[in-house]
Parts: sequence; C-alpha cells; structure tokens
Amino acid sequence: MGQTKPVSPPSSGPGSPAGDDPLVEAYLARRANLIRFFAARTGSHAAAEDLAQELYLKVAGRPPGEVAENPAALLYRIATNLMVDRTRGEARASARDAHWRGAVHTTIAGEDIAQEPPADEAAASRQRLRQLVEAVAELPPQMQRAFTLHKLEGRSHADTALAMGISVKSVEKHISAALKNLTARLGR
Amino acid sequence: MTGAGRDQDRMAEAADWVIRLQAGDLDGADGLAFDAWLQADDRNATAYDAALAIDQEFETNAAAVREGLRTRRPGRVLAFRRPYYAAGAAAAAAFAAALIVPAMMVSTTTAAYATGTGEHRTVSLADGSKIDLDASSRLSVTLGRHERQVTMAEGQAVFDVTHDSRRPFLIAAGDRTVRVVGTQFDVRHRAGHLSVTVTRGTVEVLPADGASGQTFRLHPGQRLEHQEGAISAQVAAAAPDQALGWRSGRLVYRDQPLSIVVADLNAEFAKPIRIADPALAATPVSGVFIVDSEDAVVRRLALLVSAHTVPSDGGVTLKRNETPNR
Repeated sequence: MGQTKPVSPPSSGPGSPAGDDPLVEAYLARRANLIRFFAARTGSHAAAEDLAQELYLKVAGRPPGEVAENPAALLYRIATNLMVDRTRGEARASARDAHWRGAVHTTIAGEDIAQEPPADEAAASRQRLRQLVEAVAELPPQMQRAFTLHKLEGRSHADTALAMGISVKSVEKHISAALKNLTARLGR
Repeated sequence: MTGAGRDQDRMAEAADWVIRLQAGDLDGADGLAFDAWLQADDRNATAYDAALAIDQEFETNAAAVREGLRTRRPGRVLAFRRPYYAAGAAAAAAFAAALIVPAMMVSTTTAAYATGTGEHRTVSLADGSKIDLDASSRLSVTLGRHERQVTMAEGQAVFDVTHDSRRPFLIAAGDRTVRVVGTQFDVRHRAGHLSVTVTRGTVEVLPADGASGQTFRLHPGQRLEHQEGAISAQVAAAAPDQALGWRSGRLVYRDQPLSIVVADLNAEFAKPIRIADPALAATPVSGVFIVDSEDAVVRRLALLVSAHTVPSDGGVTLKRNETPNR
C-alpha cells in the first residue's frame, strides 16, 4: 500500500546531510581516539568498537538544529555517559566478561570459524605468562599490592584504597606507575 | 638523554591515562583532555596503545598470573635451601615440581558420579554449578581452591557453571581439556570421540598435557568435534537443541554418523543395538528422536537409514535393506 517508508542506512559520507552536523563532524574526526577512550574500560577492542558504533547512532540520531558551542566537549560528555552506563556494576578485571559481550557479536559463518582467537583475546603462552608473573613479582611492594588487588583480583580503586589504607588518588598513582613499569618491560 | 627522558614521560602519561579512564569518577572533561593529549603529539597514541595492550594482557590472564605469583613463593624457599644440598639437579627437580603441582596439593575431596543405562542425574556442586549427567556416564569432581576440576571418563553432560574468574572450571576428557569461567555447554565424550557445544559464554578446548593440537575458543552456537589421538579438531555452527535435547528426552542430530546415534541410544536402553557393517555405521543421520520405548525408537531409526532389525544376542542388529537387484 506504499505505507512503508524506505529506511536509509546511516550514511557517514562527507556529502551526506549528516556531514553538516558539527557533532557528527566531531565524531568522524575523532573516531579512532574515541575507540581508545572506550577500550580502557571495555577490556577488549571489539567491545570498544561496538560502543563507538552505538555512539555514532546516538549522535547521528540527534535532532538537527541544536547547535553545540563546543561539539567535541558535548561528544565526550555523551561518550562518557554511554560508557559509564554500559560498564556500571561490572567488576573491573572481569575482562572475560568483556570478551563475552564481544563474543555475542561474533557472527557465525558456518564451517571453519575463527580457530585463532583475535589478538586482544589470546591467552598468553606459558613463556609469556612467566614473563608477566616475573614482571609483577619484581615491582616495588606498594605498586605490586595495588596492581594485584585491582588488576588481578578485580577490586575497584575504592576497594583497593580501603584494603591498603591509602587514598584512592594514591591507589591510582601506584597502579599507573606499575603499568608504566610493566609496559616498559613487557611492551612489544 | 633528553629524548629518552621525554619518552619516559610519555610512557608515564600514557599509563596515567589508561588508569584514569578506568576510574570510578570519570567525567566528560576527562575525555576531552584525553583527546587533546592524543592530538598534541602522534607518539602519544602509540604510547597509549602500548600501555593499554599490557593492561589488557594482564586482565585477560589475571587468573593465570595470580596463580603464577602464588606458586612462585614456595619456589623461592626451595631456592634458598639449595646450598645445603649438593646435587643441583635434584634441587632443580624439586623446584620444578613445586611449580608444576599447584592447586592440586590443597585440593579438597574428590567426588565420583556415575549413571547407569537409561538413568539421568542432576548433580549440584558446592560452588553452585550444576551438572546434568546423561545415561551411562562417569565423571569425578574436585573443587580445589584455585581450580575446579572435572574428569570425564566416559559419557555426556550439560555443565551449567557458576562464574568465578578466580577458579577456572576444567574438564579433562581424554587428550583434551575444556576450560571455562562460567557458562553453559554440553560435553560428549564417548568411545574416544569428543564433542563440545556451547550455549552460553565462552569455552576453551585445549590439548591435555602431552597431547598436541591447537587451542580453540568456542562461542555460543559453536560445536567442536575431535577424535581422540588426532591433532586436528573441527568447529562448526550448532543449534543448542542438538546438544541439550537429551535432557528432555529428545536426541537431535544433524549429519551425525549412525554410529554416534546408536552409541547415544545404547546409553539410554538396556537392550544393546549393534550395526551390521561399517558403511552403514557411517551413514549420516539428521533428525529428532523422541526417546520413548526402545522398540519404537529403533524402528524409526531403521526407517531413516533404510535398514531393518534382526534380533541378536539379547539385543538387535541394524542391517541394511537388500537392494532389489541383488
């Protein structure tokens, strides 16, 4: 009866109407950085990509005409809300949960699927595992304690602070120093 | 020197950002500042990606690293004692043994479960996990402090595993180990053939110690098939019904050889079903069988593969129908 309106797929080309929206422009210019922003929290690159896609739909779906004074600031405000919303109540370090979320989106293409896990999901080899263990074992005691409680046992920054009897800011400092040390030692 | 110092600073900033973005009190201004930092220098993104990769590597392997740290300690004590013992090799062996035998030493008691022909049984474990045992199955369970270990000698079971990232759930089935954190899946290990079907979560299937082969990570809707002794395994899409049907008295197959169907039926029924020749045993079967009476099921199965039954030795034998021109 001609009632069904064709639904146009979200277009991101510069010539499309969306291209005139400063917020969409800001998104397109920063997509790679937004994925980095999300990935710190989602635990996997795939889940970060999903969030970035969701953000795009939110941004592109906003009614036109609302002119943001600082599109980048608005963009990151929306992105932060989306991410906090999505990762709320989930214990950190349950990275496997993040993989599960990612896994749900994996399309199953019949025979012969992904024998190799994607690089960011791969379980470490025995040799690599030894390197990881040694590197943590040789961290200074406070760093090691904070890193272990938060990263390896999955406690929040606040919980870790409580367990160690120090402030949340100090916990963040210790974990960050530990990560710097480990990256310098183990990074490839 | 200045260059190296700047790189050190950059690495410290990168680590700061990874941790800052994971903080509980993150707000929009942090995001904007992060974006500005990335744009200030191309090398910042590279440093951030490196720190994030290490961060994620530790999260992915958190349980294994914790375990490694824990078992590292007794190793150190032995190392201190080493001067007292002349034989370096013996001390080294003791050292290695201390590293290799981790949680098993502190493991609690092992419980064994078995079902007879036609018997189904649901086992509730102390950690909240559930095992639905199919007929003619044998397995043992050890709930250790650092891992939950099941050894499946023979049979089929649906595992509903409580999520506990600190205590992985391991199922030893012949020369393969199934590793899981918390999920639902079916393991069938009969007559040297292993199949694992995942309905929820993620499951890893890896070669047991001493066996060779690849590690597979299975997602919901996937099934792995492996013949014991073979190096390879095949992964294909599977409907959960296919694997879990037996719990509700249905057996579901898609292109499975008759031998597998008959093995499953023999677990259910007292009267053994045999197959007359290997060619018939390899005939692919697709379909749903309601497991009611043995005679009825065997009759339907015979129809499906163009065979008939003859009584034999207290059971029945499936024989291929003669072709008219012979």
